[in-house]
Amino acid sequence: MKKAYVIFRWELNKIFSNWHKTVTLFLLPAVLMMLALNIFPLLINYMSTGSFSKKPIVLVSAPQSFRDYVKETADANVYSYSDMSFREFSDLFNVTERFKKSLSGGTVICFFAPGDTDDSFDNAVSDYYKEIINGNNKAESEAVIYLGYDLNSLSGGLRARQFRQGVLEHYQSSLVDRLGGEYANTGSNLFSVDAFNPVTKLMDNRSTADESASRIVPGMLLIMMYYCVYSLVSDMFALERERGFWSKLKMTPVAPSHIFAGKIMAIMVIVSAATYITALLLFLTSWANTANDAMSLLPFGMMLTPFELFILIVTIPFTVFVMTAACISTVFSLNKIQDITINLQLPLVLFLADFFLQMFRGTRPMTAEYFIPMHNSLALISEAYMAQEKAWHVIAVLAVNTAAALLVLRSVYRKEDLYDKRKRHS
Amino acid sequence: MISVKDIHKSYTKDSETLKGISFEIGEGKIFGLLGPNGAGKTTLMQIIATLMKPTSGTVEINGMSPDNDLLKIHKILGFLTTEIKLDPVSTPDHLFDFFAELYDIPQDEINSRKEKAFGRFGITQFANRRISELSTGMKQKISIAISLLHEPPVIIFDEPTNGLDILTSRQVTDYLKELRNEGRCIILSTHIFSVAEELCDEVAIIVDGKIVAQGTVDELTALSGEKNFEDAFFKIYVENHKEDQ
Repeated sequence: MKKAYVIFRWELNKIFSNWHKTVTLFLLPAVLMMLALNIFPLLINYMSTGSFSKKPIVLVSAPQSFRDYVKETADANVYSYSDMSFREFSDLFNVTERFKKSLSGGTVICFFAPGDTDDSFDNAVSDYYKEIINGNNKAESEAVIYLGYDLNSLSGGLRARQFRQGVLEHYQSSLVDRLGGEYANTGSNLFSVDAFNPVTKLMDNRSTADESASRIVPGMLLIMMYYCVYSLVSDMFALERERGFWSKLKMTPVAPSHIFAGKIMAIMVIVSAATYITALLLFLTSWANTANDAMSLLPFGMMLTPFELFILIVTIPFTVFVMTAACISTVFSLNKIQDITINLQLPLVLFLADFFLQMFRGTRPMTAEYFIPMHNSLALISEAYMAQEKAWHVIAVLAVNTAAALLVLRSVYRKEDLYDKRKRHS
Repeated sequence: MISVKDIHKSYTKDSETLKGISFEIGEGKIFGLLGPNGAGKTTLMQIIATLMKPTSGTVEINGMSPDNDLLKIHKILGFLTTEIKLDPVSTPDHLFDFFAELYDIPQDEINSRKEKAFGRFGITQFANRRISELSTGMKQKISIAISLLHEPPVIIFDEPTNGLDILTSRQVTDYLKELRNEGRCIILSTHIFSVAEELCDEVAIIVDGKIVAQGTVDELTALSGEKNFEDAFFKIYVENHKEDQ
């Protein structure tokens, strides 16, 4: 395998000694994807609201407990709030046209009401807990939180949903600690959150950020991987065959299997590294998304546990391996460079389709999907982001992709090695 | 050193590109293959260079068959054709080092061979320029230097002076003579009669996939009854091509 290593080094050197190729492979796709991720929500926002600026959440009669919650909670801080008293809200409400325009522009109004009492929202909630402690199990709180938005406004609806899931539901859970008094100390630990454990706090974000990541990131990584594999296989195999350089390599005292091995190793290392960079940039994109706009494709706080990160790191080179084998098979089954180029582009369309299907599908991957080479990586990475991965998923994906790659390469190698003894005897 | 026996090659079921070619070449000889385009010269050379497999027949190089000793044959074989183009973004220096490593040449030997080959063909000053920036002649000289860096005893040259200016052609033909004098066995295909006359110890004329005449330039000229080798070639070609019609 020493000769394979020489070819591996040669191919790496060819890429890294050419800054144009290096940037094209390592940074350009990652940067383009990041731009797409950030520009897409802006455009949707603009199309639905006519404005690029972020719309704030309007708080009406916000209680002290909510103000405290916002101060203490990073998730709640990603929105920009404007406060309004009930009287101010009433005045605004009366100016119907202005109000309508504001709502259709994507404004979300969060209205805190104590119910039928003249008391404050906080006192109404506190009284409710006191009644439970006093043995009134049938007590009902009249304190309510309303969310107001225009049903026809896409960004308003999405922002309201995200605000409800990401902020209000957690705030509601925290009320027992803030206003539960004796009830919180004696009765329940239902809503206890380990505020001092950063991992627990981060995992709270899984429902929004990681769900989005499971839809977006696997498809993007696969497209990125295929783009790089396609470029490198075209360069290292298709163009070299076209130029006759492949024949020159075959004339050396190096077994064809070692020539293949050296080049495939180089592709695996380069593409895996480029994909890791893209994954890291996507991660940073999520964490830089502090505005966390409702249309964000990658919401704030995407996170993987060490095991999930391990799955991502391991899955990528195996996926690159099977993609490389498929592309090499295409190159060696066709003669004309134009035909090769067209045929190599076709899978890119399939990966795009797979990406969009994953974005909008409402179900988890089926068992059979783990046995479809390449697509199974998308399923596995998606499940890892949702913390739904299982050990057999990982084993199946690695085994299926490796077996598929080896089978394809075996047939290419046999075709290419003219003096292969097995072929002669067959 | 090279023994070719009854080589047949068909790309399709209906037609045969090579129809039973046989010859032998010994040490220190240049064997020329002449023929019109499509006669089968390149196919034959690719078969001898192990880049293509014959439909039937055998090739032996130094008594070794590609079926059993493919990599050993590659160690003693140098092949140059204008169809092989070097990697355009690499430099001659890098290419030489890369191929030298593939041929297991020791590091200190690589440097001395490179110095000698680059000096001979005037490549030294272009050693660190990209191939794409160099002239056709310079590319061809680099190809020769790299194809022969392992100092092979058997050399196959397909149109070595094709597309070269007169000065570079002269350099190449002088080099081929030197290689012959060193005892190398060379197969050469060319369209240029002066090159064949000047270099080849023996010539085979291929027409429609068959060797129709074989011998020294003088023998073939005398046999045809023509004044010079070029006329002899045309006569032989026309006679044999007509027979096939």
